[in-house]
Amino acid sequence: MNALELRGVSAYYGQVQALRGIDLALAEGEVVSLLGPNGAGKTTTLRAVSRMVRTSGTIEVYGRSISRQRPENVARLGVAHVPAGRGTFSDLTVQENLSLASGMRPRSTSGLVSADLDAVFGYFPILATFRDRRARALSGGQQQMLAIARGLLSRPRILMIDEPTLGLAPQLAREILGQLRTLRDDWNLSILLAEQNAALALHVTDRVYVLESGTVRLVRAAAELTLADVAASSYLGPS
Amino acid sequence: MSYFFQQLVNGLSDGMIYAGMALALVVVFHGSGVLNIAQGEMATFSAFLAWAASSAHLPWPVVIIGVVVLSFVLGVGVERVFIRPVERASELNSLIVTLAVLLLTEAIIGSIWGFLPRSVPSPFGDGATHVGGVTITYQQIGAAATLAALLVLLYGFFQRTPVGIRMRAATDNAESARLLGVRVGWMLALGWGLAAAMGGVVGILAAPQFGLDDSIFLNVMLYAFAAATLGGLTSMPGAVIGGLLIGVTQTMSSAYVSFIGSDLNVVVPFALILAVLLIRPAGLLGRETAGRV
Repeated sequence: MNALELRGVSAYYGQVQALRGIDLALAEGEVVSLLGPNGAGKTTTLRAVSRMVRTSGTIEVYGRSISRQRPENVARLGVAHVPAGRGTFSDLTVQENLSLASGMRPRSTSGLVSADLDAVFGYFPILATFRDRRARALSGGQQQMLAIARGLLSRPRILMIDEPTLGLAPQLAREILGQLRTLRDDWNLSILLAEQNAALALHVTDRVYVLESGTVRLVRAAAELTLADVAASSYLGPS
Repeated sequence: MSYFFQQLVNGLSDGMIYAGMALALVVVFHGSGVLNIAQGEMATFSAFLAWAASSAHLPWPVVIIGVVVLSFVLGVGVERVFIRPVERASELNSLIVTLAVLLLTEAIIGSIWGFLPRSVPSPFGDGATHVGGVTITYQQIGAAATLAALLVLLYGFFQRTPVGIRMRAATDNAESARLLGVRVGWMLALGWGLAAAMGGVVGILAAPQFGLDDSIFLNVMLYAFAAATLGGLTSMPGAVIGGLLIGVTQTMSSAYVSFIGSDLNVVVPFALILAVLLIRPAGLLGRETAGRV
């Protein structure tokens, strides 16, 4: 059974159709990235799963249809969504951001809170240093780390990350994306990444979907794909 | 000198009532972005409930706890029934809805208890203590202690408890809160309940001080809105400081500036607010926000 499966999913912002019947599968333990230019539908795909946009078609989390669920219920089914622009709680301190997330985890993992917190501080030591600062006082990169940490601490089964490298220095972007496989292994995750930076994403993911204009142009194992393939498929039409 | 301190005590004791209501306004406004015009009338309803219960010779602790719980439930109910349907519409819609709630509540109060003013006993008794020529009534001391305790509880709730932090998160970034699984709608309703419960306490405290009738909070709410604005509308400490400041300026100005007296003293707090907002548009402790166009 796939962790996440979309069949014939279309999405609409008012009258505007942003996804046109896409099919997508995320196997358990897989790291999949959605590539494509601005407006291709990467963010909308994640928002469709989180029920933040009106959709038609079938969306299943571990075989269970979530098409009629509210966003907060999808989260409670184990889908963590780290939105683009980071979406941290800027008035809350780093510590409060993290304990908020820890409080939303399934009851069965509540015994792991302090170990998980240590693990997160291990990946992102700067968060431990700044734990009493308000999130607004963090830099863009630090806020991104906080957003990912928050996603992890809710102990999801599926982690969806939207454009984590947006606006970050290349070095930091590489560092953050480079952690993804480790995170998957340590936290038993399946990861869906929406990323514009194809060069970075190809190195850290198992499989790639190239989107364009709300449709899937190409699905391929990341290892079989070069940057030129991605560019060709997304800018010059179907391969 | 004792005259000065007497005025200060009186000013602070009025100011605390304003502060309490301003705090209730801020809890709702900060949470759901709605300025609840009906806050005062809802508190009046709670005060009438308390008066009715105490007239039936129920002991004060029972009355207070009962009224607080009932006010909380009513506050949540008002949000669920009246505000939620217009939640996504413009802010003007919710403002008009709260106006409707005000009129409705006033009509309900009138039809149950009539429109005649009543004198209400203080839960703290009628006595007073004298400190160096300054008279402080037990009512004033009790009200101050209650409101201070309320403030500490509220602060602890928002800073320390998981639910309090969830409420702040829902206010701060509703979308991210949803994505984490926070039930944002209920958090807002909870804010309304808390505000109504707080208003209930303030109502019980204010009734002996101002006398109880259906419009007891009409003036108080003007000052409470003013206090909340002065403090910055989203800042709880700001609302309290604003309330106290307004109470004190009001008493002081009528005590020391002869032409103001008791007629013009309504104007003084508003002159003060105008002055503050000209210098700090976001209020004393408010944060500057850029308007979305």
